[in-house]
Amino acid sequence: MARKQRKKQEWENNMVETKSVADIVVDVILYICVGLVALCSVVPMWHVLMSSFSDGKSLLSHVGLVLWPVGGFTLEGYGMIFQNSSIVGGYINTIIYTIAFTVIGFLLSSVTGYALSRDTKLKKPVTMALMITMLFGGGMVPTYMVIRALGWVGTPWALVIPGCTNSMYCIMMMNAFNSIPKEMYEASHIDGAGHLSTLFEITLPQAMNMGSVIILNLAIGQWNSWMQAAIYVPNRKALWPLQLVIRQITSENADFLNSSNPNYSRYLIQFAVIIAAIAPIIIAFPFFQDKMEKGVIQGGVKG
Amino acid sequence: MARTKELTGSARRSWKAEFRRDWVVYMLFLPIIIYEVVLHYLPMFGVIMAFEDYNVVDGYFHSPWVGFKHFIDLFTGEDFLQAIRNTVAIGLLRATIGFIAPIIFALMLSLINSKKFKRTAQTMSYMPNFVAAVIVCSLFTQFLAKDGPLTLLLTNIFGAENQNWFANDQVPVFWIIYTLMGIWQGVGWGSIMYVAAISQVSGDLHEAAAIDGATRLQRLFKITLPNIFPMIMMMFVINIGTALAAGYDNILLLYMPSTYNVADTVFTYTYRQAFGGGATNYSLSAASGLFQSVVCTILLVGSNAISRKTAGSSLF
Repeated sequence: MARKQRKKQEWENNMVETKSVADIVVDVILYICVGLVALCSVVPMWHVLMSSFSDGKSLLSHVGLVLWPVGGFTLEGYGMIFQNSSIVGGYINTIIYTIAFTVIGFLLSSVTGYALSRDTKLKKPVTMALMITMLFGGGMVPTYMVIRALGWVGTPWALVIPGCTNSMYCIMMMNAFNSIPKEMYEASHIDGAGHLSTLFEITLPQAMNMGSVIILNLAIGQWNSWMQAAIYVPNRKALWPLQLVIRQITSENADFLNSSNPNYSRYLIQFAVIIAAIAPIIIAFPFFQDKMEKGVIQGGVKG
Repeated sequence: MARTKELTGSARRSWKAEFRRDWVVYMLFLPIIIYEVVLHYLPMFGVIMAFEDYNVVDGYFHSPWVGFKHFIDLFTGEDFLQAIRNTVAIGLLRATIGFIAPIIFALMLSLINSKKFKRTAQTMSYMPNFVAAVIVCSLFTQFLAKDGPLTLLLTNIFGAENQNWFANDQVPVFWIIYTLMGIWQGVGWGSIMYVAAISQVSGDLHEAAAIDGATRLQRLFKITLPNIFPMIMMMFVINIGTALAAGYDNILLLYMPSTYNVADTVFTYTYRQAFGGGATNYSLSAASGLFQSVVCTILLVGSNAISRKTAGSSLF
């Protein structure tokens, strides 16, 4: 594939096709359309970023997109984040949940992937059982009842264990372990390594191409999730992740902006907290973009 | 000693011998088995509560059995039928417009010569996919509020009535907004598969066509599209299969009691009956959830079979 692409590039560069007027028109339209899509994708975020640097009072009376800080540049909004205990608490909760969820989910997926990749009698029935869960699920309430019976409702366990792995991740890890040469397993066996050290010390590092895709998916998914928390810890605000705090702030604002004496700082803080919530992902994005892209392509091809 | 069937590896040994030989691996199966049984298989049996008047005190075994009462309630009431209508409408919009958008975007990208421009545009278009649902929904709520930027744009340029668009309970408005929101979120990320498929189309074909005088647009329609068509078909079929299963959760963040008639879906109905605050009716919610699960399973299995027959490749 790489050779083909190189070849395609080569002839595209050497091509002596003269551009007609129609070609140029097509080009212009293309660049405008693609540029517009790209622009639309980031403008809302830019609006929030600039709003977060604005002055609360002028921001409230401002109508339309905020392309530049309104009423002078200030960091007031960010200062208020640190004074708001529910936001700080939510942020810390989200970090804890994300780490716990990702570690548990990744360990479970890789251990299962390894076990499935070995020749055992359980390989077929467990694969089958995993497939069935992809097809049919009990649904929201029966799952809630099971978690309630476990005593996890109102505790962080309900947020970090359910959904930390799924059939797809297990099977993706199985494929990763299967694609490691058989000789590697034999060699480590001859050297006296048991299954556990073969798994963690020898083969897992080689399966990390797929592993890192799963880690990224788990971490981003948990960082952005809100519904698990809305179902399992709705009344325990001390356990709320950041997304639930944001949801409350923005939905309360919608009501109280209509009141006669709105509080500017609360309007401003919502922009600052949104930026604080997406900043880690956006900043890290350039580093993991390639990996995630490859993950999508592989996942689609292997299915 | 010719044997009709040669057994190899684990199948040859007895369970006991196997376990003695590889007990560590068998132990490694334990966590996933516990996880699957508790969190996936127990809930599957828990669906019997859809046939009971479930109450927490009596549990599964002692709650009164009522048979299909809840299903009859669902299908004779107005709310649930409305929810089905909205689910199907939004699902169809997303399986058509929402499906084509990333393909068009990928095709446009493939026609762009500047590698740098293409890469930058791609990176920018991925961004909405990584923004949390809560944030996306609150942004759209603000942008489409009475004096939001998008509402102003629609009013001033297209002459639409100035209004809070999410409070509009006219028929296609919410459906279209929700579909467009999904496209905004997913168009860049969804195009990755197609961009990859297009880049695998043989350069020789393009070269030969170019030498014969085919323009870029001609090559797009005569070479690129036919080459990725099987893959488009497969994705389409899979898309139909999963259309009703996922992607309705954002509605919880957008709808309000006055727009239930257009925005309520089976998923949100299920959620509201159990966790929406106010009176909870677990059994009714379980019944509605079971209905959704069964329909989704049928669609998924059906579309998978079609995909296997027509495109030669399938999800499982």
